[in-house]
Amino acid sequence: MKTLLIGEYREGRLLESTYELLGFAQALGADSSLFIVAREDQLPAFAGKLYLADAAAAGEYNPDLHRELIFQAVEQEQPDYIVFLHSSYGWDLAPRVAAKLKIAQVSEISAITAGEFEVGCCNAKMRRSVKPATEKAVLTIQAGAFPVLQPGGSPQIRKLTASLSSNLEFVGYEPAEAKDVDLAKAEVIVTAGRGIGKKENVPVIHALAKALGGELGASRPVVDAGWVEHSHQVGTTGQTVSPKLYIACGVSGAIQHLAGMKKSDFIIAINKDKDAPIGEVADVLVVADVMQFVPAMTAKLGR
Amino acid sequence: MKLLVCVKQVPDMESRFKPDSRGVWFSETDLAWRMNEYDEYAVEEAVKLREQLGESCELTVLSIGPDRVGEVIKKALAMGADRAVHVQDLDAAGKDPWQIASIIAGYAKEQSYDIIFTGMQSQDRGSAQVGVLVAELLGFTCATTLVGFAFADGVITAKRELEGGLKGVAKLQIPAVVTCQLGLNIPRYPTLPNIMKAKRKEIAAIPVTELLKEEPLAATTSFHPPAKKGGGVVLEGDVGELVEKVIAILKDKTAVLR
Amino acid sequence: MEVTREIYWNIGHGVVLSMYLLSFAAVAVLLWGFWKRLPLYRIGRPLTRTDRYEERVRRLIDDVIGQEKVARVRDGGLPHNLFFWGFMVLFVGTLLVMLQADFFTPLMGVNLLSGEFYKAFSLILDLAGLVVLVMLAALFIRRYFIKPEGLDTKDEDFIIHTLLFSIIVTGFLIEGARMAATEIIQNPALANFSPIGKLVAQLFMGFDEPSIRSSHKVFWWIHFALVLGFFCAIPYTKLRHIVTTSANSFFAPLEPKGSIDTINMEDETAEQFGAAKITDLTWKDIFDADACTTCKRCQDRCPAYATEKPLSPMKLIKQIGEIAETTPEAGLCETVTEEVLWSCTTCRACQDICPANNEHVNKILEMRRNLTLMEGSFPGDEVRTAISNIEVNANPFGLAFAGRAEWAAGLDVAVMAENSDVDILYFVGCYASFDRRNRQIAESFIKICNAAGIKVGILGKEEKCCGEPARKLGNEYLYQTMAQENIELIKGYNVKKIVTTCPHCFNTLARDYRDLGLEMPVEHYTTYLERLLKNGSLSLEAKPFQLTYHDSCYLGRYMDIIAAPRYLLAKSGGRISEMEQSGYDSFCCGAGGGRILAEEKIGTKISEKRVAMALETGAPTLVSNCPFCLTMFEDGIKTGGGEGRIVVRDLAEIVAERLENATFTQSRR
Repeated sequence: MKTLLIGEYREGRLLESTYELLGFAQALGADSSLFIVAREDQLPAFAGKLYLADAAAAGEYNPDLHRELIFQAVEQEQPDYIVFLHSSYGWDLAPRVAAKLKIAQVSEISAITAGEFEVGCCNAKMRRSVKPATEKAVLTIQAGAFPVLQPGGSPQIRKLTASLSSNLEFVGYEPAEAKDVDLAKAEVIVTAGRGIGKKENVPVIHALAKALGGELGASRPVVDAGWVEHSHQVGTTGQTVSPKLYIACGVSGAIQHLAGMKKSDFIIAINKDKDAPIGEVADVLVVADVMQFVPAMTAKLGR
Repeated sequence: MKLLVCVKQVPDMESRFKPDSRGVWFSETDLAWRMNEYDEYAVEEAVKLREQLGESCELTVLSIGPDRVGEVIKKALAMGADRAVHVQDLDAAGKDPWQIASIIAGYAKEQSYDIIFTGMQSQDRGSAQVGVLVAELLGFTCATTLVGFAFADGVITAKRELEGGLKGVAKLQIPAVVTCQLGLNIPRYPTLPNIMKAKRKEIAAIPVTELLKEEPLAATTSFHPPAKKGGGVVLEGDVGELVEKVIAILKDKTAVLR
Repeated sequence: MEVTREIYWNIGHGVVLSMYLLSFAAVAVLLWGFWKRLPLYRIGRPLTRTDRYEERVRRLIDDVIGQEKVARVRDGGLPHNLFFWGFMVLFVGTLLVMLQADFFTPLMGVNLLSGEFYKAFSLILDLAGLVVLVMLAALFIRRYFIKPEGLDTKDEDFIIHTLLFSIIVTGFLIEGARMAATEIIQNPALANFSPIGKLVAQLFMGFDEPSIRSSHKVFWWIHFALVLGFFCAIPYTKLRHIVTTSANSFFAPLEPKGSIDTINMEDETAEQFGAAKITDLTWKDIFDADACTTCKRCQDRCPAYATEKPLSPMKLIKQIGEIAETTPEAGLCETVTEEVLWSCTTCRACQDICPANNEHVNKILEMRRNLTLMEGSFPGDEVRTAISNIEVNANPFGLAFAGRAEWAAGLDVAVMAENSDVDILYFVGCYASFDRRNRQIAESFIKICNAAGIKVGILGKEEKCCGEPARKLGNEYLYQTMAQENIELIKGYNVKKIVTTCPHCFNTLARDYRDLGLEMPVEHYTTYLERLLKNGSLSLEAKPFQLTYHDSCYLGRYMDIIAAPRYLLAKSGGRISEMEQSGYDSFCCGAGGGRILAEEKIGTKISEKRVAMALETGAPTLVSNCPFCLTMFEDGIKTGGGEGRIVVRDLAEIVAERLENATFTQSRR
């Protein structure tokens, strides 16, 4: 089985998440070659075949052109699966490639079971097993679902070029708001979710974080509601974290959030709902009212 | 200008999902339905553009499904769409994204739309494919997961949400498809006069067989709850006791408490 | 000697013509003043408030002659009423003198003002004058020295005080001068029936008659001029309340309390819903501003005002009058501001106490309707979410509707869809269905009914939010959607009676649903259980305990159910330490008017304020009768420092713990 893995490169840097693709290929037991639009001094540590298009010429976000470049690679490589990350780059580009080849796409794969792909649905509450009906298929994999695999070595480069006039012109990046906290370095993160009820309760969660010598995290709804600044947001649109201890307070566990924290060493979730999806990744699920449990725990730790 | 917004009716995500008799999708018993959240942002953005452009502009809302999808169509009309297309399909849930996109493209290709809005994904299936596939089938420019949208002089300035709070800005020539993400806008609450006006707006019904010529490219073989993570402990009971237990576990299993 | 007096003594009948002409002129000025104000009221929408004539006249008499509503508050009310009755006596006495002088004497030759009647007449009028004077002084001291919080004092108040004081004083001076020159000398025995006059007469004793006569004349004309001035001032000063506040007793709403116009959703020609401009309110809404005496009783009782929120019901009433007068084209909600409008809990404390029969709550609701139905506005994003949850899952929490009856698992309750052969339909409501704490109310109620042998049915997952919070937030459309689905459902079963544990559901089903076609007995559990106790179906084992009881707004003020819960508490062994604000004067928990769905962002929390009142009684238990109150107090106790000092229970929980034949319940399960 052959896979063509579509690596990611942004703001002049290779993205680490590219190595998750190799983890997936290994889980699938497939041979892999890589495709990437990047600069030559930023190549993945990988001993296989690398289809490389120059980022200076092809741009970092130029989906129409990238689709054509990937098409060239596919023509040469004839892979069974073309694999993207289910990321802002991947979900934007993958369907274009699938449409061009008129082949199936399976989105956001979180596991492989019995040769079928598991994907989340219904807000991560349920799963579907999906099977492509076409010989080849485009796949996108869930961020964080497969292990990072960094085999090392230097790739055998096959350069690709294409030119295409596109009706889409990439203007540039707009940076995230300044961070007052670096969650990536925190050993303990205590996260406030929508279940805390209201803005006034944020200090209660923060107090537990402090008692454990950690930082305050927040789920996306809490940030969107303006209760906590964006710099505290955990999840694919915030920061991906892996602390020693992660305590999720009133976080139901939307897939974007789970993807951003499930690599934490130890996860405790406090939630009223026993069936909340956060329970899937938690080592300990405490079924309780957050606003009763958290102050009690802070008080106990203070003693 | 002609605008199209594609909306899907999805179950409320608070619902309890059980597999249907075929075991490949959910049973519809006891489900509450609503408009797909991301499609609400799409409708709002489309209506805003419709208001910006004035009377020279027409906004159509399209939805695929059985009669119940009339509810979301009415909501979009009440929010400000001018007319509606209901593609009647008793088994829309059984169609894969390729087929759904083909149905939309099959309708849209005769209509020469300038901009097509839709959600970045559906809350129930979550494939995040349909918008882009429609663009590819129609040969439209496309950008996904918009958290910013502006239109002037025939050019869309789109702000895409990337990872880690970063945003990417792109300019798109029309005709184009854009898919909308949380954070783009706050959908309006339809006013009562608009709800009443919506009752008189035209809803064209088209049987899906007239538009769909494609076979599915992928098949769902099973719909099931996720496997529980092994070793996860569920603690219930008195808060005081729970605190004791959790602290004991922390001492035992982590290096955080010594 | 004849017991009477000479009318027009020292003045002469020559003044009669000019006196009448001047009086008519003054009355004309008065009428003209009001006439000119009519167009202002007419910019409001039409509204019929002249039907049920007899009822209205009766109310007018009770309110005006009886001063019943003013009397409800002793401070200010008592002096006002004594002043009023005294002034009325003086006015009627003066009319009688006028009739005697210019009708009975010249036309019939009879003298009513003679003999024993005259003695009584003299004494009563003299004492009335004294009472008026003393009350005027009391009110003066109240306004200028005690200065009650919130009482707005203007120059006008001083002028009116001086005018009224001068009228009475000059009256006594006239009497004193006349008596000094006549009665004291000619009939000292009669003079004793005018004790104040006799006292004042002492001032004139020692002067010669011509000087007494000339000062009498001067005082007479001053008194007359002041009285004319009084009449002329009525339409242009706060004295207008004599007419407008009285008129409002006649115009008062006669519908059941809390009635709101049910908007016709079928009317496709309607372009405006709710009040966007002053012209969308009724003439009565504008008239209310003129009827308002700024007595501030509403403001004193308003839970929003008491917790530093921007709403004052009094200022709102006045502001609407100002808008009608000065900026009738302005956007009403923008001028009043959304913050003010969303602050109201519709507790009705303002309207209940208002001596002027002003209608505060519906004005706010009409403006909220404009905000919600025309502008899609909400008090906050959390309310937007809750409303959308009601739309989708028929409960404000957004929980799956299919789980609505989960609380009843294992209890002896029939779900109507499966078995509708029941004695009562229990309309559970969202809080008792979904909220863990409030489920105990539902469970308790079932336990009690089981013990009384009552077969209870519920609608289960078919039940929907009654729509009350949505309606009180102005969302009539969502309310009617919910209501119609509930009504259709209930009508489909053979329901004999509906009982609720939530006063909000109770009001809505019993009163509001009537407009939409649900005509069947609806009862709150407190009166229902009271009857079961009285007819012996239920018996309780009294377990003595100390408590304080909170009258929820929608049970007490809205539905007049104040005694029944206290009866249940007494039968349960409860000794009530009443809070100062109880019964009709109860202080809201903060949850009414849809506020249960909203965050309280401005000022202190109403629930904490009420919990503090409960703590003051020293009782360890606070008993309420409403899931909203229970929710607010559970919160208020936690955040307001009441933990460990007081617990809140619903009355149903108290009763369920005291069932005598409780074994029966268990055997049936």
